[in-house]
Amino acid sequence: MFFHIVLERNMQLHPRYFGRNLRDNLVSKLMKDVEGTCSGRHGFVVAVTGIENVGKGLIRDGTGFVTFPVKYQCVVFRPFKGEILEAVVTMVNKMGFFAEAGPVQIFVSNHLIPDDMEFQSGDIPNYTTSDGSVKIQKDSEVRLKIIGTRVDATEIFCIGTIKDDFLGVINDPTAI
Amino acid sequence: MCAKLLLLIIIIIIIFTAAFAVAVTTIIKSIQRITHTAPTASFIISLTHINKIKEPFLSIRVCLFVCFFFSIPFCVTTMSRRGMDDDEFEEEEEEEEQVADFDEEAEEEEEMEERGFGGGKGGRKRSRSSFIDDDAEEVDEDEEEEDYDDEDFDDGKSGGGRKPKRGRVSNFFDEEAAVDSDEEEDEEEGEDDFIVDGGADLPEERDSRNVRRGRMLPHDEDHEDLEAVAKSIQERYGRRQAEYDEEATDVEQQALLPSVRDPKLWMVKCAIGRERETAVCLMQKYIDKGSELQIRSAIALDHLKNYIYVEADKEAHVREACKGLRNIFGQKITLVPIREMTDVLSVESKAIDLARDTWVRMKIGTYKGDLAKVVDVDNVRQRVTVKLIPRIDLQALANKLEGREVVKKKAFVPPPRFLNVEEARELHIRVENRRDAYGERFDAIGGMMFKDGFLYKTVSIKSISAQNIKPTFDELEKFRKPGENGDGDVASLSTLFANRKKGHFLKGDAVIVIKGDLKNLKGWVEKVDEDNVHIRPEIKGLPKTLAVNEKELCKYFEPGNHVKVVSGAQEGATGMVVKVEQHVLILISDTTKEHIRVFADDVVESSEVTTGVTKIGDYELRDLVLLDNLSFGVIIRVESEAFQVLKGVPDRPEVALVKLREIKCKLDKKISVQDRYKNTVSAKDVVRIVEGPCKGKQGPVEHIYRGVLFICDRHHLEHAGFICVKAQSCVVVGGSRSNGDRNGDAYSRFASLRTPPRIPQSPSRFNRGGPQNHFGGRGRGGRGHDGLTGSTVKVRQGPYKGYRGRVIEVKGTSVRVELESQMKVVTVDRNHISDNVAVTPYRGSRYGMGSETPMHPSRTPLHPYMTPMRDPGATPIHDGMRTPMRDPAWNPYTPMSPPRDNWEDGNPGSWAASPQYQPGSPPSRPYEAPTPGAGWASTPGGNYSEAGTPRDNSAYANAPSPYLPSTPGGQPMTPNSASYLPGTPGGQPMTPGAGGLDMMSPVLGGDNEGPWLMPDILVNVHKPGDESVGVIREVLPDGSCRVALGSSGNGEIITALPSEMEAVVPRKSDKIKIMGGALRGATGKLIGVDGTDGIVKVDDTLDVKILDLVILAKLAQA
Repeated sequence: MFFHIVLERNMQLHPRYFGRNLRDNLVSKLMKDVEGTCSGRHGFVVAVTGIENVGKGLIRDGTGFVTFPVKYQCVVFRPFKGEILEAVVTMVNKMGFFAEAGPVQIFVSNHLIPDDMEFQSGDIPNYTTSDGSVKIQKDSEVRLKIIGTRVDATEIFCIGTIKDDFLGVINDPTAI
Repeated sequence: MCAKLLLLIIIIIIIFTAAFAVAVTTIIKSIQRITHTAPTASFIISLTHINKIKEPFLSIRVCLFVCFFFSIPFCVTTMSRRGMDDDEFEEEEEEEEQVADFDEEAEEEEEMEERGFGGGKGGRKRSRSSFIDDDAEEVDEDEEEEDYDDEDFDDGKSGGGRKPKRGRVSNFFDEEAAVDSDEEEDEEEGEDDFIVDGGADLPEERDSRNVRRGRMLPHDEDHEDLEAVAKSIQERYGRRQAEYDEEATDVEQQALLPSVRDPKLWMVKCAIGRERETAVCLMQKYIDKGSELQIRSAIALDHLKNYIYVEADKEAHVREACKGLRNIFGQKITLVPIREMTDVLSVESKAIDLARDTWVRMKIGTYKGDLAKVVDVDNVRQRVTVKLIPRIDLQALANKLEGREVVKKKAFVPPPRFLNVEEARELHIRVENRRDAYGERFDAIGGMMFKDGFLYKTVSIKSISAQNIKPTFDELEKFRKPGENGDGDVASLSTLFANRKKGHFLKGDAVIVIKGDLKNLKGWVEKVDEDNVHIRPEIKGLPKTLAVNEKELCKYFEPGNHVKVVSGAQEGATGMVVKVEQHVLILISDTTKEHIRVFADDVVESSEVTTGVTKIGDYELRDLVLLDNLSFGVIIRVESEAFQVLKGVPDRPEVALVKLREIKCKLDKKISVQDRYKNTVSAKDVVRIVEGPCKGKQGPVEHIYRGVLFICDRHHLEHAGFICVKAQSCVVVGGSRSNGDRNGDAYSRFASLRTPPRIPQSPSRFNRGGPQNHFGGRGRGGRGHDGLTGSTVKVRQGPYKGYRGRVIEVKGTSVRVELESQMKVVTVDRNHISDNVAVTPYRGSRYGMGSETPMHPSRTPLHPYMTPMRDPGATPIHDGMRTPMRDPAWNPYTPMSPPRDNWEDGNPGSWAASPQYQPGSPPSRPYEAPTPGAGWASTPGGNYSEAGTPRDNSAYANAPSPYLPSTPGGQPMTPNSASYLPGTPGGQPMTPGAGGLDMMSPVLGGDNEGPWLMPDILVNVHKPGDESVGVIREVLPDGSCRVALGSSGNGEIITALPSEMEAVVPRKSDKIKIMGGALRGATGKLIGVDGTDGIVKVDDTLDVKILDLVILAKLAQA
């Protein structure tokens, strides 16, 4: 799920950035530092959308660095248990397949793939129904439900299922 | 009465004529039944203190081992005595003696029988006072005690540990060994109308220990008067009866522990194998000498060889007693510390609850260690029938049956295999059809019974172990006959629960009821009693909490839970539950991303992430090991008792299961080999596989041995990510040092950076890869600090002897050297390095390397941390900042957070998405706006060489000033800083010298440029004040290009310097042209982007290649 939230961060800036572009520098640095990061609490920071306010900078003794408390708005993405997501399959193997929904990696175990889909090894490993009408392979787009998440400091890993109504392939690259 | 008395006397005579000990209690019992008189014998080997040494907190019951008194002959004697009373019982009793097994259950049963018998007797002897019956009963129990004593001492039992010892009617033993029975027994006894002195001795205890001590000594010889005896008995036991109900509390139990005032236990050395004899001798001596002997007891433990224990107050008493005994020599007497006294006589319980369908393991014989399933239990005869997978060599059997010579192969155990009756018949083995007692059909071969391929074997209870049986899945799987749906067996998994540890359920655990009326009810544990678990049911409308027997519960998990395996073969692993099949969970392991099957019982919910067991002995996961047959491999998985090793056979992955003993040693050598292009490869270098089945994969080298590399590719899911290849099939990517054949090395994209004279390179690469060069520039600035800093040195001494590295800092007499081969910074004494290494050729590469890192700036999660480090770069404290660059963490191939790629490098679009922060930047490629800073900075080495600056250290050290201005604003240093550079024109004014330098680079770069830019590719042209997209029409010999402006190349044709151009980064499904490498010039389609790699489908061959994005350029639309 995406959220637009306000976060705060203390930015340290080198004195050489001071000048009329200080704010720009600060913002650039903030974006660079923050975007793409992941925190267990908020999920992935997708984009910084705006700066709420930049507090007063505090010069650190000795280094000359200045610490600015910056409040910024950003879009974060955090997967939740039970959430339905659309994801792109990135890898298929006999234990299941990995899919990505933006920055989040989701594993769908073969236990959580409908029983009528079977693994077909070969050049392009895939899961195919017995009648061959539905095929999950790399680059397929699937709709899945997250049933478990594991949050590390820098990564969120999810377990998903497509063994449910209205879940499964939504766009097959080979069909185009 | 008189006759009985006579009988008593006869018995006593028998006792005394017998040379050794007597099953005194039994006799007493007989005596009791007959006469109620106490025997006049006066020998005592009392174990007075022992009832004090119970340890309630350990819940270990103390058993007293008066074993040596109870040898079988005497038991038999007493049996015959008892036979007068009850013939029926005797039989069983005798059998009991013979089958020396001891089993809790059996005992209980026996006890009950006895009780029945005792009860009947009670009926008969109604006239007698009840306490006497009780005493008789007690003696019965003492008989059991005998059994215990015959039994191995380890086989004691445990229980609540509260039951105090029983009193003894007899004066033979003032205090007897309290047989600890378990709780149930206690209860039963409590329920029965007779009394077994629970807590009987406590009053005495309370009175005073001395009282008991006095009583304990044998002085009641002259009880001629039966009346008096009866009276005294009544005195003693009547009181007990009254106080029976009192339960000993823990505190009281504590009080029973031996104290300093109690007699001590001495350990006396005796002849091996003569322990019992010695103890009996002591007893005999006591009988002979009476009170002269001041020891109180002697104990021989079956499991303790060479020693007996003697209880006495003083060592001298022990010595006195031991004097003259031939089995005791050396006079070595050791005091047992008070604290350990209880341990001497306490025994772990063995409460075997053998029921049908229980899993057991065989203890002895061919089937030793095999899993078996109990199909029938005969408690009386102490035998069980188990179902086994036969280990029968049919051929051998056939030979034997036909009387042929059987070659006995020792130590050969046939593998377990189901018996095939047809097969047996083919070998002319007679297979009979038989029915057992229950009418079940069996196939009988010889004396063996088979059914469904299983062997049914009746064995003694003693020869199986039922404790802590944890069948593995494999075993259970094997046990499941093919075709059988396994329901039965899975259900019997619940028998596994019998082996659950205490405290299995904790408050808050999610559980499900698996048996009984409430089956499938889910709930949460609220409280745990001994056996009952109070659960809060999930369904509303039920009582708030329900008490459910522990055995009816199973832990419950839902798919998606993150759990940790806490016991069993997979202990330690963590993962997420993907499927729940009754009591079995399927997890997806966090580390291996593989499925693991575990019992729900072995699992707890946890947020922890671990790998499970990663080490056995000295060998750890990912170690390179040498095996027995001189083959070698990497440990890719650690199992319960073996390793999975990926053998060092290139080209085809070969995995072997290797036992610990098959491993010869760990290989931990620092070797380096040469790759395909003669670049040196050492551990941790990133290499790319260019041929063989794993072509295209790349990753850091983990191990090198005999020209074989073990590469760890995190994208490789098999074999824990390890790939085994020949060094010849690889090329170094980046890595620590590659100064090989640059021209041929299509894969080293830093080629141009490596050799200073030819430093200029396509600006496009730089802009695209990030402002890596700035690091070079920065480094240069810093070098002025110390002549040594930055130079390549070789370590001459110390643990790092022979290593080569770059000095990154000089601190007094020590130097911090960044080792080339290890991506690691070590501190070495300055005197231990030699700096006369041929530095020059490497210097370029150093910078190249410095700059290589940011090629993937976005990949490294350490990104944020760079900032502070980077900034000092502009200041004289520059050195620090270099460290992180080459730090392993910076290695672009170390595991990283993939999302970053997407966000930054691989997905430039995402940047463009926030244009408001890049005012003035052209919308097309906002962060590739012309940055003069980048221009100059991109050619630091070139400047050096061009200017003819000497390349020795001092020159570096001294010459920085002219270039220092070129480390201006430092802004370009920030990786990805390009994104905001356009918005900070300030950068330029600050670098006055930059422009000049910049002008030089294209000229320098002339010849080197060629390989990069080529006709037909789309470039961004950055002329001062003009930015546009164009198509290269022609590459001129001087490196500049004729570019037709416009995205389709139909605009004006201009001539642009390489530094003014950069190839347009292709996007997914763009047509591309390959600008470098073996496929230079080929066209293709970009079918995907993976980090900094592009997946390209080459038009000509239709091959799919993974190439660096850097060498890919978008092809102009024709």
